[in-house]
Amino acid sequence: MRIFLLMMLGLFLYGSDATLEIIKSADNRPNVVMQDASTFGNDLIKQKFFRLLVGDFKVSAHFKVDATYRQAGYEDMVDPMLKSSDYLVRYRFREGEGQALFMDMRAYALPAADIIYERSYRVANRARYPFLIHQALIDFNDFLKMPSVAWMKRYVVFSEYTRPKNADIVVADYTLTYRKTLVSGGLNIFPKWADRQQQGIYYTKVGKRRPVLYHFNIYTGQQRKVATSDGMLVCSDVSRDGRRLLLTMAPDGQPDIYQYDTTSGMKQRLTFYSGIDVSAQYIDGERRIVFVSDRLGYPNIFASKIGSRAVQQLVFHGKNNNACSAHGKYIVYSSRESDNAFSANTFNLYLISTQTDYIRRLTASGVNQFPKFSDDGESVMYIKHYASQSALGIIRLDYNEGFLFPLKGRRIQSIDW
Amino acid sequence: MKKSWMIAAVAAAMLMSGCSQKEPEVDMTKQAASQETAAPAVTEADHGLSTVAGGEEVSDISTLPEDARMAQIKAIEAEAKKIYFDFDKYNIRPDQEPNVDYDADLFSSDKAKDLTIKIEGNCDEWGTDEYNYALGLKRAKTVRDALAVKGIDNSRMVMVSYGESNPVCTEHTKECWAKNRRVEFELLP
Repeated sequence: MRIFLLMMLGLFLYGSDATLEIIKSADNRPNVVMQDASTFGNDLIKQKFFRLLVGDFKVSAHFKVDATYRQAGYEDMVDPMLKSSDYLVRYRFREGEGQALFMDMRAYALPAADIIYERSYRVANRARYPFLIHQALIDFNDFLKMPSVAWMKRYVVFSEYTRPKNADIVVADYTLTYRKTLVSGGLNIFPKWADRQQQGIYYTKVGKRRPVLYHFNIYTGQQRKVATSDGMLVCSDVSRDGRRLLLTMAPDGQPDIYQYDTTSGMKQRLTFYSGIDVSAQYIDGERRIVFVSDRLGYPNIFASKIGSRAVQQLVFHGKNNNACSAHGKYIVYSSRESDNAFSANTFNLYLISTQTDYIRRLTASGVNQFPKFSDDGESVMYIKHYASQSALGIIRLDYNEGFLFPLKGRRIQSIDW
Repeated sequence: MKKSWMIAAVAAAMLMSGCSQKEPEVDMTKQAASQETAAPAVTEADHGLSTVAGGEEVSDISTLPEDARMAQIKAIEAEAKKIYFDFDKYNIRPDQEPNVDYDADLFSSDKAKDLTIKIEGNCDEWGTDEYNYALGLKRAKTVRDALAVKGIDNSRMVMVSYGESNPVCTEHTKECWAKNRRVEFELLP
């Protein structure tokens, strides 16, 4: 009874505030074991596909997945040794006509070894294989009536440095395994999704004399100029209905935050400080904004009501909190831990809420930067540098779990999810 | 001998005039061709330069006027001194002030006074996202304001921040990062 009460309390707390860390939770997630029956690809490719599938299972946080790579024929009998798990997932990648690639996935309930689930998926180009895997996982997760992980098939857009003063805008799957360059040539930075359906992006092209903000339709390739400003111009957030933008503009070299109405073209200045005000994002029903400012002599996180000049300090810890991402009432920010900028343990991510005073630390080691909330606010994506390796990290806030995907030699400028 | 030349010349003249009446166009080309092949009156203008001792001969023959101007602009640009900054700061350090003075003198000199000055702010790799670009811009702005105080007209100056996108040094060392925290100039005609 006492355990039951504790669990209820735990559930209540986690339902109410994500800044509270779950120290211990009763782990009743189903055990999943996998078998590869692929006819496509060499061992290297098979391992790659397997690792991505394991990654998806882990990132969903709904399964305890056995990461041992096993092979079997698609129609083979179920090995009795595996029957201690809850489900056996057997999958097969097979070649299609041209560049097409198929994935078949079947699940057996154990120990009975009944086939309870079977689906097939196809992509026209095998380079898109990550989306086969994400879709397969989303559907299997739905079939088991787990909370949706449909966000896995959403695109990520990022800007990547190619050489000095040059960066490309690239669209990718959430693990950055699949990538397609959208804009190249010159310095193209700060991509931001323009609408929730991910039809278009805003991005900044730094021209010879001044930066220009463009809207780019990712399906038609059509591009139109939205605004231009001296020195600096960044679209840091888009309202849920896509009609208002938060821009950092710097007329006369002074970076301040402006709200831009896409229908009327009117700009409203929101901050009035002579130092740096950047990275504004909507919070609390888009009535307020959170932003990064150096008004205390070092970068920190502040909030302000739209239309009011009063500014509220949100974070009272850390020496350098220079990047943040917001979703509803939650804000995740990156904080430099010590005055020594060059020590091994440099930047960590923290989660706060505008409604409470709690701070939850999300990372423990390395340089953790570029935090970005997922569209549903349940996950945070970030870039981790640790011991000369880089990785893309995903933190599942409600589950207190994280997963890292390796990133080889990419220099990310900015990322949006 | 002289007589035969005369006859030949008259005959040729008659032939030409006769032809020109019938088919002027063909004749014109023939005439031009014959002038070209038979162009004996070439005067040597070397004035003995071929025999003058020395190194490579130069007279900017390959440089068009605009290119010469650009080359000159690039030379002034190379002369300008970079301004370096402390970690996470955008104020001009005392040791950098002489560099600002030098640049102000250079940009107001006769050879540079018509040029637009593009002030480029740069940062090390340690910031992320927008804050780093804003920091680069504030660095450009402090330098612009300092140059304005020293008499450079504001309308001649434009600012751009390159954030961490334009490193001059890519090693992961303190010295290297310090080199990247800088303002540099591009001069535009």
